[in-house]
Amino acid sequence: MRPQGSTGELASDWSLLERVVRKDEEALSALYDRYSGLVYSEAKRILRDTGAAEEILQDLFYQIWRTAERFDEARGSLGGWLLVAARNRAISRLRRKTGKTEELKENGVGLRVDLESRTAQNLLLEKVRGVMQELPEGQREAVELAYFEGMSHTEIAEKTGQPLGTIKTRIRSAMETLKRVLG
Amino acid sequence: MTNGGHISAEELTLLAVGAMPEEHCAALRAHAAECVDCGAKLAEARGQAALLALGVAQEKPAATIKAELFARIRAEREQEEMYRWPAKSGEEAAHAPARKSRRGWSLVPVAAALAIATTWEWKENQRMAGELASANHQIVKMTNERQRAEMLVDLLSSPDTVSVRLAAAPETQPSAGMVRYNAKRGMVVYTAELPALPADKIYQMWLVPATGAPISAGIFAPGPHGTRQLWTAEVPMNTEVKAFAVTIEPAGGVAQPTGPKVLVGAG
Repeated sequence: MRPQGSTGELASDWSLLERVVRKDEEALSALYDRYSGLVYSEAKRILRDTGAAEEILQDLFYQIWRTAERFDEARGSLGGWLLVAARNRAISRLRRKTGKTEELKENGVGLRVDLESRTAQNLLLEKVRGVMQELPEGQREAVELAYFEGMSHTEIAEKTGQPLGTIKTRIRSAMETLKRVLG
Repeated sequence: MTNGGHISAEELTLLAVGAMPEEHCAALRAHAAECVDCGAKLAEARGQAALLALGVAQEKPAATIKAELFARIRAEREQEEMYRWPAKSGEEAAHAPARKSRRGWSLVPVAAALAIATTWEWKENQRMAGELASANHQIVKMTNERQRAEMLVDLLSSPDTVSVRLAAAPETQPSAGMVRYNAKRGMVVYTAELPALPADKIYQMWLVPATGAPISAGIFAPGPHGTRQLWTAEVPMNTEVKAFAVTIEPAGGVAQPTGPKVLVGAG
């Protein structure tokens, strides 16, 4: 069953978070159902380890449960924060760094797209996959090595044998394409 | 920073995507924390970069993870209830007499000692509550692991589960695998001995149904030094399968197979 607001529409992340602050388990359950697939898939893509991805997923939602009151709607979207936090934790683990736990009140993530409904998520999944497939090989490789492998531009330049300036341009061009297509 | 003291567009993108070398990040983040304009631009760039995560193959986490999360939350709530600091009720507080007698002042050292002892006891209780919550978490985790193991044993011993050996596809390196598939439950369990892949590639398991397009049964990467691992995946129930195949795909996995087959087996 989808979480409903008082008027029957899909409950927003913000209204669910307000309920989580009041320790409403059903609201956390709704947020989990909404975002667990995205968070888990991202962590698993980075770590290629089911157990480690599950741990990150569970810890992030546990953090939401414990500190929901620190999330400030004005600082960005919960879906965006979850994706960024999952990425940072997975990369920290991948590179064996002691990652700082992301606080809900800091590191604002502004998402201009709707991630709250399943339909919107499916549409975006399709669009992003389409953009990634259409990107020139060099651009896709540079962006993937940075975002999913945690490599800096200098490390990517070394790995691919391309000049540093080329790597920076490729990353920027890829992100501009993504922005243009997603509006 | 090359943009008149502000973070340039290129730096914002590199920082958001995670490509900025660590040694440059601190200064840029510090500036973004102080500068409203750069902070807003960085938040937007982060949101844009986060969408890259939507390009990966989507997988559903096991149902036990959610159950474990809520068991952890409930165990903690129970502990908190047990060790809650006893608060004075509103009515009690309202009727408490405001006495200021000499006898009252003489009791101050006693009250202070009691307060110290009570605070120490409260702190001790908090510490014990923390330890108990952690122990409970471990128990829940172990229970879930046991349940998973039982589920696997049950699945592997079920008469409905079929076993299919996977052999190396023609013109590929020697490799092998084994699939156990239970159509009624929509579960696939598999192992594979395959060479390690470069970072931008991954293995993906496919069910080839009697009719229709192949169905992904997840991406996987063999452990270091040929460690044997068992992978499980949920697939649509009652799918009649004619073959299983493993292909090499881009690291995030794909919706439909695009890469070379390395393992195949008839269902």
